[in-house]
Amino acid sequence: MRIRLNVNGNAIELESATDRTLADVLRDELGLIGVRVSCSEGECGSCTILVDGQPMTSCMMLVNQGEGKEILTIEGLGTPEDLHPIQQAFIEEQGFQCAFCTPGFILSAKAFLEENPNPTEDEVAFAMSGNICRCGAYPYIVRSVLNAAEKLQAGSSN
Amino acid sequence: MQSHFEYLRPSSTKEAVQMKIEFGQRAKYWAGGTDMTLRWRREIDRFSHCIDITYLTGLDNIEVEEDCIRIGALVSLSALERADQRHHLLKTLSDVTKLMCTPQTRTLATVGGNLSNASPAADLTPPFIAMDALAEITTEDGIRTVPMDQFFEGVNRTVVGDDLLSAIEIPLPESQHKVVKYHRIDRTIVDIALVNASTSLSADRSRTITRAGVALGAVAPIVIRSPAAERFLEGKSIDLVSESDLEKVGEIASEDAKPISDVRASADYRRAMIKVMTARCIKDCIEELGGTIS
Repeated sequence: MRIRLNVNGNAIELESATDRTLADVLRDELGLIGVRVSCSEGECGSCTILVDGQPMTSCMMLVNQGEGKEILTIEGLGTPEDLHPIQQAFIEEQGFQCAFCTPGFILSAKAFLEENPNPTEDEVAFAMSGNICRCGAYPYIVRSVLNAAEKLQAGSSN
Repeated sequence: MQSHFEYLRPSSTKEAVQMKIEFGQRAKYWAGGTDMTLRWRREIDRFSHCIDITYLTGLDNIEVEEDCIRIGALVSLSALERADQRHHLLKTLSDVTKLMCTPQTRTLATVGGNLSNASPAADLTPPFIAMDALAEITTEDGIRTVPMDQFFEGVNRTVVGDDLLSAIEIPLPESQHKVVKYHRIDRTIVDIALVNASTSLSADRSRTITRAGVALGAVAPIVIRSPAAERFLEGKSIDLVSESDLEKVGEIASEDAKPISDVRASADYRRAMIKVMTARCIKDCIEELGGTIS
């Protein structure tokens, strides 16, 4: 089946079986391996992408359900030379150890900070509750998101 | 190996129902997919046709009217979470959704899906039953309406058949103040209720309870009512409910519970906790109505 997707600002047309998840197609067909697939059951949050700005577990979406929507993966957020403020904040606060879960955390944080630009520590922890970090870097991750909030607020007031 | 299926995208609710009738049990409706993905991967459901209803329009609105609140079946849990300012009954439902799955699955998961999956531990079922909500089901020729307490037939089984659940209606009786509360026992977030309960009370201007709804979850194959607990509360003044009444209503509810022991909790624990959950819900309802426990 021909499927049209809009991924990281690029219009893409590809052939795919209909019984595939969006996560698998993003990884296997488009090479976007920042979409991490771990539990495949919507529990761990590794495969989190933004669909029309909303965080979604792409392991639970059929590839066809990506049609007509704006899909953002970690590859579409910043570049190595020009990091997104949330990426910069995660580096500054060491918000990861092995970094397997980091793309999911950063995208969850992006959607959350757009809705709540000036959160408390507790609000950050609750908002990040759908992402699991097996290294247990949670306190650093919360600090990263708080740091990112400051960066984004400073950026928007300039 | 997962089963291969064909993907169908109907353009109207009627077309969706026609597709389902055409393929019968070989077809499955697919909305947010947060339960369906698991059922497909674990091969609990085998089907040759997937009917994706997420592109249908008009099923994702929450309408607050004078005499009812209507929640479209495709309203996502995160949309319900955001509706907390629109009505005090929606505030409770919003708080319930915060207990469910994770932020990035709440954006996918739908209200209709949570009900249609028909888990006895579903979080939204007890409040809807307690509030005397109605399921609006689209058929090939029109609409049929089923009270939520008659919607379920067993674990993962409903009366919907080949038709399609299109909305849930919460009636708002004239000149009544209606409230709803929910409690559950769980470990932490991203957990399923070991046991849950919801109660709804309606009071008139003389501060008399005119209607009580008591719904108990995870203590039977389907979410059940406790009619005896409801009768016990109806007719009482919201200013004259005592601590011992709360205890009594909890006991009555736990007598109606028929829990099993499983990996999640023992039957004895569930029965003991249903008493506590019911009493807490009633206390919260009385307080929201402006009464005090004597």
